[in-house]
Amino acid sequence: MSHVNGLPKKSPDMNGNVTITDCGDSALVAKAVGLDAEAAWRLVHALADALDAVRLTGGHDVVPTYDALLVEFDCTSTDHATVRSVLAHEAARLGPHPEPITPPRHFVVPVVYGGEYGPDLPEVAAQLGLSEGEVVELHSGSDLTVRCLGAPAGAPMTDGPPFPKPVPRLASPRTRVDPGSVAAAGRQAVICPMPSPGGWPLLGRTPVRILDLHSDPITAYQPGDTFRFRPITPQQWDEYADLSLADLVDSAGLANSADLVDHHG
Amino acid sequence: MADTLTIRTAGIVTVQDLGRVGRSRYGLPANGAADQHSARVANVLCGNDERAPLLEITALDFACVPSSDILIAVTGAPADVTVEGGVRPQWEPVPVRAGETVKVSGIRQGLRVYLAVLGSFEADRLQGSCAPDTILGFGPALSTGDELVLRTACPPLDHPFSRIPLFRLKAPVPPFPTSWTIDVTDGPDRAEFGDTGRRLFDAPFTVTPRSNHIGLRLQGEVPRRVTKGEVLSRGVPIGAVEVPAGDELLVLHRGRGVTAGYPVLAVVTATGLSALGQVRPGQTISFRHRTLDQAVAAHRAQRNAIDALRSRVRTAFDALRIRAPAGT
Repeated sequence: MSHVNGLPKKSPDMNGNVTITDCGDSALVAKAVGLDAEAAWRLVHALADALDAVRLTGGHDVVPTYDALLVEFDCTSTDHATVRSVLAHEAARLGPHPEPITPPRHFVVPVVYGGEYGPDLPEVAAQLGLSEGEVVELHSGSDLTVRCLGAPAGAPMTDGPPFPKPVPRLASPRTRVDPGSVAAAGRQAVICPMPSPGGWPLLGRTPVRILDLHSDPITAYQPGDTFRFRPITPQQWDEYADLSLADLVDSAGLANSADLVDHHG
Repeated sequence: MADTLTIRTAGIVTVQDLGRVGRSRYGLPANGAADQHSARVANVLCGNDERAPLLEITALDFACVPSSDILIAVTGAPADVTVEGGVRPQWEPVPVRAGETVKVSGIRQGLRVYLAVLGSFEADRLQGSCAPDTILGFGPALSTGDELVLRTACPPLDHPFSRIPLFRLKAPVPPFPTSWTIDVTDGPDRAEFGDTGRRLFDAPFTVTPRSNHIGLRLQGEVPRRVTKGEVLSRGVPIGAVEVPAGDELLVLHRGRGVTAGYPVLAVVTATGLSALGQVRPGQTISFRHRTLDQAVAAHRAQRNAIDALRSRVRTAFDALRIRAPAGT
């Protein structure tokens, strides 16, 4: 692969709507700048798709998130300058408003809030100056867009619910969070798919299985899809316990996907 | 019936490879051998593809017995390697006859030993790799009595009248010091630590027992973030040096979650990560600052040495009429 336009090696570089920064001897970070959150998110994911499509020699992994893209590579078969120039070239080609590729899907996710299922609900309510019921209403009252698949284990990371202010992380992280736990921190929300340590306050828990290790990819959702959390009672837990997230695609949501695209545009 | 390698003393042993590539966007970390250099060399010494499944033996004694004649190579941390009681070298190919017991004991100075077998063995894969993912619960540790199905039998090589080592291949052996120097380059968020960032290089850090393939927790005089504000979750590289709340430094390793919300002060180099895969709890680490060019050059030199070894292995195997295995 040749250098596309002989960019200098210093960092960070400004290329249209992204800055590109060295991130160790085997990675670069491209960060969207000067764009609103929606456009920044769309750009870093389109950039990840573009990088996958060019099958960069020595390219290992791309991790697009909210406003940043991590690119990992083998520096013995490519180099920073080459990856940098490919990133800059693709960012320039995409421009500030790339089109979405796949129509979003909509998942309705049952959640038991509070109690042993969401032990931090009282604390979060107190921090936000709301009642527990109001926190549940806000968390389950609107569609939350999946922005990326992150830690742990491909967890769906969404926009936060419309809380009046960011939710602080726990002062002392838990060593084990139960699978299906539904958490929020900052302006983000997440479902924890597998048992793992975690520092985000837990609001509730879904009985449905999030991952399927026998499918490829192991997640039913992808960035751009939306989740709507639906409160259920602890007595209803067993009704959902045999289901996986893939069973909960809302076909009405599919019919409305054009509206969703418009909304995001 | 297929030939097998039976585990006689398990200790802590897993089937590994170099990791899961291309799955980070789906949230799956690379994982794979913690000391990538030693794992690569073990496979190359057996004429294998460097990504072939092999055993990662951590800290505790291990023993196994093959049901057919095999060729193995043992790399990684210094240990006592014996075949049917006779001492054998590390970092060289070693012939083992059917029914002979291979023992790896007294692992010292480092933490992990790699054992590759010519032709490798069958291994379950998830998303293209057999590397365990402890968060997903994939790739459990092996138990005593487990049998691995060998892919290739190796013709007997041992000279009937002599026990001298058959091979002198001069594999690139990294140092295993009692106090480690780990190379890092500047992280993308170094500025967020102001002047405290240089504390990383001022004094050594001690590795705590709460360290594993996901990350190492280090105690010492930790740098402090001088900026405030919320950091959106974003992709963090393997090797990221972070300062979460508390008095510990966190260095992310190959099993790290792909996203995090902490600023990245520094990034351990590719060669530094292999060394870090060998550091034992209680040992000390001094960080050494490298430029990007120095780090890349060191990694390329290490990989070039493996390429050169591969061609020496091929020559030796050709001379001994050992058929190199195909594929991974």
